[in-house]
Order: sequence, then C-alpha cells, then structure tokens
Amino acid sequence: MKKFIAIILIVAIAVGTVFAGGSKEEAADDGKITLNLYWWGNQIRNDVTQKAVELYMEQNPNIVIRTEFADWSGYWDRLSATAAGGNMPDIVQMDYSYLNQYQQNGLLADLTPFIEDGTIDVTNVPESIIASGSVDGRCYALSLGSNAPVMVYDPAITEAAGVTIPDQLTFDQLYEIGETIYEKTGVRTYFDGGINMMQILARSYGSHIFDELAAGDETTMLKHWTNVKRFNDSEASISPDLLSEKNPDIVETKPIVDGTTWNDFSYSNQFIAIVNAAGRPLAMSMYPMPDDAVEQPMFLKPSQFFSIAETSAHKEEAAKFLDWFTNSVECNEILMAERGIPISTAVAEAIMPLVDENTQAIFEYIDAVGAIATPIDAPDPAGKGEIEAIGKTTAEDVRYNTYTPEEATADYVSRAHSILQSQ
Amino acid sequence: MSDKKKKGPQRTVILRKREMTLAQKMNTQAVAGYVFVALFIIGFLSFMIIPMAMSFGFAFTRYNILSAPRFIGLENFKEMFTNDPVFWQSFKATMYYVVFSVPMRLIMALVIALLLVRKSKASGVYRALFYLPSIVGSSVAVAILWRRMFASDGVINSMLQAVGINCEIAWLGRTDTAIWTLIILAVWQFGSSMLIFLAGLKQIPVSLYEVADVEGANPFTRFFKITLPMLTPTIFFNLINQLINGFMAFTQSYIITQGRPRNSTLFYTVYMYQNSFTYNKMGYGCAMAWFMIVIVGALTLILFKSQNKWVYYES
Repeated sequence: MKKFIAIILIVAIAVGTVFAGGSKEEAADDGKITLNLYWWGNQIRNDVTQKAVELYMEQNPNIVIRTEFADWSGYWDRLSATAAGGNMPDIVQMDYSYLNQYQQNGLLADLTPFIEDGTIDVTNVPESIIASGSVDGRCYALSLGSNAPVMVYDPAITEAAGVTIPDQLTFDQLYEIGETIYEKTGVRTYFDGGINMMQILARSYGSHIFDELAAGDETTMLKHWTNVKRFNDSEASISPDLLSEKNPDIVETKPIVDGTTWNDFSYSNQFIAIVNAAGRPLAMSMYPMPDDAVEQPMFLKPSQFFSIAETSAHKEEAAKFLDWFTNSVECNEILMAERGIPISTAVAEAIMPLVDENTQAIFEYIDAVGAIATPIDAPDPAGKGEIEAIGKTTAEDVRYNTYTPEEATADYVSRAHSILQSQ
Repeated sequence: MSDKKKKGPQRTVILRKREMTLAQKMNTQAVAGYVFVALFIIGFLSFMIIPMAMSFGFAFTRYNILSAPRFIGLENFKEMFTNDPVFWQSFKATMYYVVFSVPMRLIMALVIALLLVRKSKASGVYRALFYLPSIVGSSVAVAILWRRMFASDGVINSMLQAVGINCEIAWLGRTDTAIWTLIILAVWQFGSSMLIFLAGLKQIPVSLYEVADVEGANPFTRFFKITLPMLTPTIFFNLINQLINGFMAFTQSYIITQGRPRNSTLFYTVYMYQNSFTYNKMGYGCAMAWFMIVIVGALTLILFKSQNKWVYYES
C-alpha cells in the first residue's frame, strides 16, 4: 500500500514537472497575447497573409499571431477536430457553406457587439456584405471579399484555334468550340462534373440542387450526367485516366496548368493562383449554361469570412485584428485583393490602381457578374461534403462507362437523398 | 492508517522499523522499474486506452463532432454493412493492397537480406542504403515524388520510352494500375523487415552449414533445408508486423491518389478518416475503426494458431 502511495507521489511530481515546464514556456512570451490564425488557401495566399501578419505584429508588439494554413479539404478536417477538442484557433477562415453548421453549434463568437462599439469599423462596408455573414440578424462572420464561379481558359490556345470565347457560353457552344480547338491545336476540353456545375445547372431552370436532392427529384441530375457523358464521349475531351491523374481539385495540378486542357472551372478568387501555377496569361468566362436555360444561373458569393472562435480568450484583440485586416490600406496593399475585392469601398478604391492586370481582370469579372447575377442559394445543408465526394466518384463512374447517365442518376440521387434525410 | 495511530508506543517502534523497510523498498529495482515505466503508462492510458474506450462508445452513436453524441445502437454497423457501397470498396482496396504488398515486401526483404548477410567492406553501406526508403517511405515528400514519377509524363514512362517501349499510360488514372503504384511503393520500403531478417540469419548456427558442406549439399538445398526452416520464427514475426502495418496504411492513398480513380485506391483508413473528419460522421468512423480491429485481430489470431504447422522453434 505504502509502496503504491510512494509511486503515486513520484508520478505526481513527474507529471507536475512536465506541466510546469509547459507553463513556463507560455510565460516566456513576456505577457504577450497570442492569437492563432488559421486559413485555407494556396501558396500566394499563404505568403501574403504571412507578410500582413508580420506587419501587424510589428505595429502591435504586444500581440503574437501564430499562423497555420491548409488546403481546402485538409482545412475542414482539422477545424472540426480542433472544434471538438475545444481549442479552435482564435481567428478562423469560414466559408458560406459551413457557416450555418458552425454557428448552430455555438462555435462562433457574435461579432455584432464589436461592430456596434466600433472595434470593427464598418462605415465603408455595404450593409449587404455584413448581412451575408449574419444569422438571425447577428453577425458571426466578416466577409473578406466577393467571389463568383468561373470558367478559366487559355486565350493563346483559343486564338491559335481561331475561336473567341464570349462572356458566357452555352453547353452546345462549349462542345463545338472544344471540337474546333482539338482539331486545330490538339488541346483538350474539360467539363466540370462536380457539385458547382450541378448547382449552376439547377439554377438555370430556377431550381436549387440541394432542394431537388432532398426531395429525391432526378430532373437536374439526369441532365447533368447526360452532359458529363456527352462531353466525355467527345474525342476532344480529356480522357478519364488523365483527368483522374491531374486532379482538377488541386490548383497546382489542374490539367490547364500544363496545357493538357484549354479550360478549367473554379471560383474567381482562385484565378490568380491558377495563373501563377500555369505561368502564362489566362482569361475568364462565366460558367456555361444549358441552351434552354430559363434563368441566369450566375451568382455572387462571399469568397470567405473571418470568424472568431467562441472559445477564444482574446476576442477583443481578435476583433481588432479583423478591423485592421478590413480597413488598413497598408495591410491590403500586401494582400492585394487575393481573397476577393476588399469589402471596404475606401480600401478597394485605394488599391484598385495598384493591383496587377490579373486582379484587375477579377475586379472587372465580378462587376460583370454582379450586373446579371441572381440571388445565391441558401447555405448548403450538412452532408454536403459527403454528397460532393460521392458526386466525384459518380462522375468517374460515368466517364469510365461503368454507369449510364440513367444508372448514375438513380444511384446518386438515392444516396444523396438518404444522406440528407439522415442529417 | 488511522487505526494504527491509536495503538501504543510499542506499535510506533514497529512502524519506524517498517519505514526503514519502506526506504529500502524505494531503492529496489522494482520501484525503479515502475518509475521508469510511469511516463509510458500515463501516455498509454491517456493516448491509447482512454481514447479507445471513448471511440468504442462513439461507435454506437451519431456524433457530428460539433454537437453532443446521440445513442443509436447498432445503426452505424447496419449502415456500414448494408447501405454503404464505398465502405466495401475501401475494404476491398485495402485487402487487395495487403494481400499483394505484404508477401512481396517480405520476399524482397529476405532476398536482399540474404545478399547482405555475407561479410564485406561495403555491406554496411548497402544496409544503410537499403534501409533508407523505410525511413523516408511514409513521408509526404515521397508520396508526392511517387505521384510525379508515375504521371503520364513522369519518369517511369520516360524510362520505358527510352528503352523503346512507347508507353503513355496514366498509371495513376486507371483502376487496374493505380493500386499497383501504391503496392510498389510499399514493397520498396522493405528496410525494417530486412534488418530483422538479417538479425535472424546471423543467429542460424554456422555448424549446420558446415555439416551441410561435409554432406555435399548444394546451395539450393542449404537454403530450403536449413536457412528457411531456421528462419521461420523471424518470418512469422515479420508477417504479423507487416500485416498490421498494411491495414494501417494511410499516407500513400491520402496523398498520392486520394482514392482515385473510382475509389479503387481508397484505403479503409482514409475512408474512415473522411467519415470522421471531412463528413463529420465521427460515430460512423469509430464504428469502422472497431470493425477493422476485429478483422486484424481475427487474422492475427489465425496466424498465431497456424504457428504449429509451419513455424519451427529450436528449443
């Protein structure tokens, strides 16, 4: 018994020493406040954000900001894990499709008090932009810029093939232009089989993809898989083998980057990253739509937000950083609208003359989309991630001819339906 | 303790004596041992046993990480076995990977070990070189290197073209070849098994070979009648180790192929990870984890039971 107690004591001392060592390290920061900042992005975003953060720490010597970044899918894996562990980073990048889920679980701090007391200055920010990050009238996420779906293409190749790309193609036009380009240059066409295209297609007929899937409605999906099949069967299209290898989900390996294809699909704020990865000039056109579309499917979306974790011990300091990020011209001269056009009109005006031609192109593109855009779909339901993943394999099933469009539709809709039901 | 205090002075003397023995006891090897293993025990409890117990509990719940788990009984297992084609795809892919990569890796390791067991000046260098892939093997950098090597315009195709084979296969883009790029990567990482084989080979008594020489046995017979039987305990150990490792493979699939194409390289662990963290279905992920434990446990048990049939222990 005594031996046991002695062991317990020794163990307690040992553990105490370990923990004491840990707290000593914390104290070594001389009473500085540490904020953790976490975002998803690409190499450029990582670089400019890091630079901006360093400038902030220079100007605010009592703040230490620890940064972490990941790519899109890795980001959400990590974030949910930290949320579960109760150690979510103080400031996190948030997306429109995840906002509801995180807010409903009480993980995001209410920013409204900070906006009201002026810690976050929004005098130059349009009301609608604050609203895009609000739930039930309370703001939980501060938008960092506007965004729109985009088809990226290589103007050198289209020129060589003697075709011009209008502001927005129809599917038939895309198909024909693809064939012409392949004939003239040997460069292939890519047709997006993923969730963004499904969304655009549904919107073209005045519907919403997740409403349809929740109701088990096959209308849009049958059209979608028929389109995927049609483009895949074209000689001009990239083969499923190559497409799988190149993996358009990752900017750096997109098939347009090494010139395997002349087009690709993404969001406008990824444009600069794609251009940089490709190392040659690219251009933008709106997402193509069906020839018999009844509504304009294009929409504007908040590119991403910053949110403050409810668990953060330094909400006030985090809010100050958000204010600086939003309103400092100096900061945005480093960021150069990489996350989208700055939401503060004053900042946007100040950096407009400074941005390079690619960013300028995005400014113009967002303007053009803004002129015709229809309202965005409601935030995506929980289960979107899994439905998106199943969509990717189903697209492969269609492209490798394992499924006919009809089989793909039946399988996909029933699986998506049951996922949405079970949420 | 408290009732001891009530006793008279005589008792105190005895107590003091006991304290002496306690001080002595503190100096015994057993106590030293406990102290040394204490840190491990704490780590083992807090990072293995407690999380495992929690995961067992989660396996019977619907748990999205962000809000509290809800008990749903065997629903997760029912969903897994009856309503989730991807689950079976990932199970099949992992089985395929294990069935081919484990024996091939062991054979590779044994062959190289046989070559390196001879004494020569360079053998140390060679051992280090052959072991190197195992150290860097499961790293992200190698995974990315592998993806580039097997790209349609990668070095593998270039090499094939250089020797006159006009090959433009997208190795990673075909359901029949993508998994093999991962298997080859696994076989390449034979280093740790090789080291164990080397140790095993050195323990075979030289006298056996001397007798074989006297009897005029050829190298072939020597290998199959002496080396192989004497090495069976080492083979057995390696087999169990590599089998478990094989089922735990993650990085290759996660980084190189991400399950593409058509989930043909979606390893069980990757799908488990996706469920747990990407789809926020932690309960389901835990259920998958426990199914895997049962499978690996059963296979290990079968192997242990089969020992009498093929493993030769000298003593």
